[in-house]
Amino acid sequence: MRAQVTAGELAVETRVFSVDGRQVMLSKRYSGRADNPRSFAHQASDDIVALTQYRGVARSKIAFTSDRDATKPPRGKELYIVDYDGFNAKRITVNNSLNILPAWSPDGRSLAYTSYRQGSPAIFVARIFEGRSDNITKNEGQAFAPTFSPDGKRLAYASNKSGNLEIWIANADGTGAHRITSSHGSDTAPTWSPTGQEIAFTSDRAGSPQIYLMDSEGLNVRRLTTVGNWNDAPAWNPSKEYSEIAYTSRLEVGGPIRFDIAVVDLATRQVRQVTAGRGSCEYPSWAPNGRHLVFSCKRGNTWQITVSDREGRTIDTLSAGPGNNVQPDWGP
Amino acid sequence: MKRQTIPLLLVALIFTLGCPKKRPPAVLTESGQRAGAHAPATATPEPEPEQPVTEGPDIAAVPRGNPSGEDFTVNDATGENGPLEDIRFDYDKAELSDVARATLERHGLWLQNHRTAKVTIEGHCDERGTVDYNLALGDKRARAVRDYLASLGVAADRLHTVSLGKERPLDPANNEQAFAKNRRAHFVVSR
Repeated sequence: MRAQVTAGELAVETRVFSVDGRQVMLSKRYSGRADNPRSFAHQASDDIVALTQYRGVARSKIAFTSDRDATKPPRGKELYIVDYDGFNAKRITVNNSLNILPAWSPDGRSLAYTSYRQGSPAIFVARIFEGRSDNITKNEGQAFAPTFSPDGKRLAYASNKSGNLEIWIANADGTGAHRITSSHGSDTAPTWSPTGQEIAFTSDRAGSPQIYLMDSEGLNVRRLTTVGNWNDAPAWNPSKEYSEIAYTSRLEVGGPIRFDIAVVDLATRQVRQVTAGRGSCEYPSWAPNGRHLVFSCKRGNTWQITVSDREGRTIDTLSAGPGNNVQPDWGP
Repeated sequence: MKRQTIPLLLVALIFTLGCPKKRPPAVLTESGQRAGAHAPATATPEPEPEQPVTEGPDIAAVPRGNPSGEDFTVNDATGENGPLEDIRFDYDKAELSDVARATLERHGLWLQNHRTAKVTIEGHCDERGTVDYNLALGDKRARAVRDYLASLGVAADRLHTVSLGKERPLDPANNEQAFAKNRRAHFVVSR
């Protein structure tokens, strides 16, 4: 790789050779304004990874919630986005209310989230390049935890409009809202399968919070998790290669209450633990290629965005900036 | 059964103690819209059997709502320091303790005496639980409080619930005392 700056113009040449040196596998030249050299590196990185069977994530972004700009009570929370490496943080919401639980649209142009700006928590969709944010659950009681279907056309979320918290589905503009679960417990935290035909969610209908599966019409409900008495926040691996769901689990019984990230294989129902001994970790989200996870861990007194590979072999805290940084969602 | 009878007795007590001794003749009040702003002075009151309807030829029907221009403080800009104190919950529980019930019975009395007050009941949790589960738990706590106040005779349309989960702890410290303070139903009163 070679880089050169001439008159504010950056040119980067990238070549990849096979190990024996005989074959040029990639040869590319990137040029443009020199004020953001990181974007060159990210583009080149993704092009190199594309030589494998995988998609790179170097140009992807992570949305999260932070209290970093909350200066006085009542303490607000706002949404932010950062590059996958934690740099280039941008604030998305600016209303000093509580804005939580962001979820990317598949095209990377919108964030659905929960906001208390009008008093009751409601689902908003922010078009982040237009600076617009619309409440799509008006007069619907309280609504939380939106998530876009893989085709971006629908949203699943939790609402107590019918009494207690149930899973609802609406079109991305809020029309056509209808309830798909019906239980005496609280049903929350929906996540779509990569095909959009199934939904996983959390319910305490059997006494403790556990992950359940159903089809996206709400039929064929069955319990997924059986290990541990507290499982929450499912995230379905978006790649077709891995059929698995990451979630938050209280794996240790007794001792202080803390959580780890776990992954359950949908075919074998085998559970693997991703985090251990990093304080309390929760709220996993998959990278778009299904090969990395992001979640939030409390170490010492603050919550920080943390990334790992899907096995949990390499785990790093992302330097996403000051404050408590929680509820990450890895976007396109 | 014991739990059923105590609220009923209290309701009776509330209505006995709670009605102002002397009612002014005015029909229209701040809450006159509810009674109908153009209603004649002899309008039939909304059905509310516990309220005295007429007390003599010179005293008109008393509309629902505060007849005397109520004087009460509401929560400050931070949402704290309102007229109704918090109630506490046990860890991972939404059931009302006896202490919580007793406090809510006082709140019910206060609400009967301050009929223009509306209340947002916030359900809060300590941080030792997952985000989504705590939002659900906060919802259950707020609904348990709303249902109990409603059972004491507070009109449901004066009570609004919001779950804050673990998103806005009263005390951000990481110890048992802070956790206990943060497992609460909080009351934000408005006029």
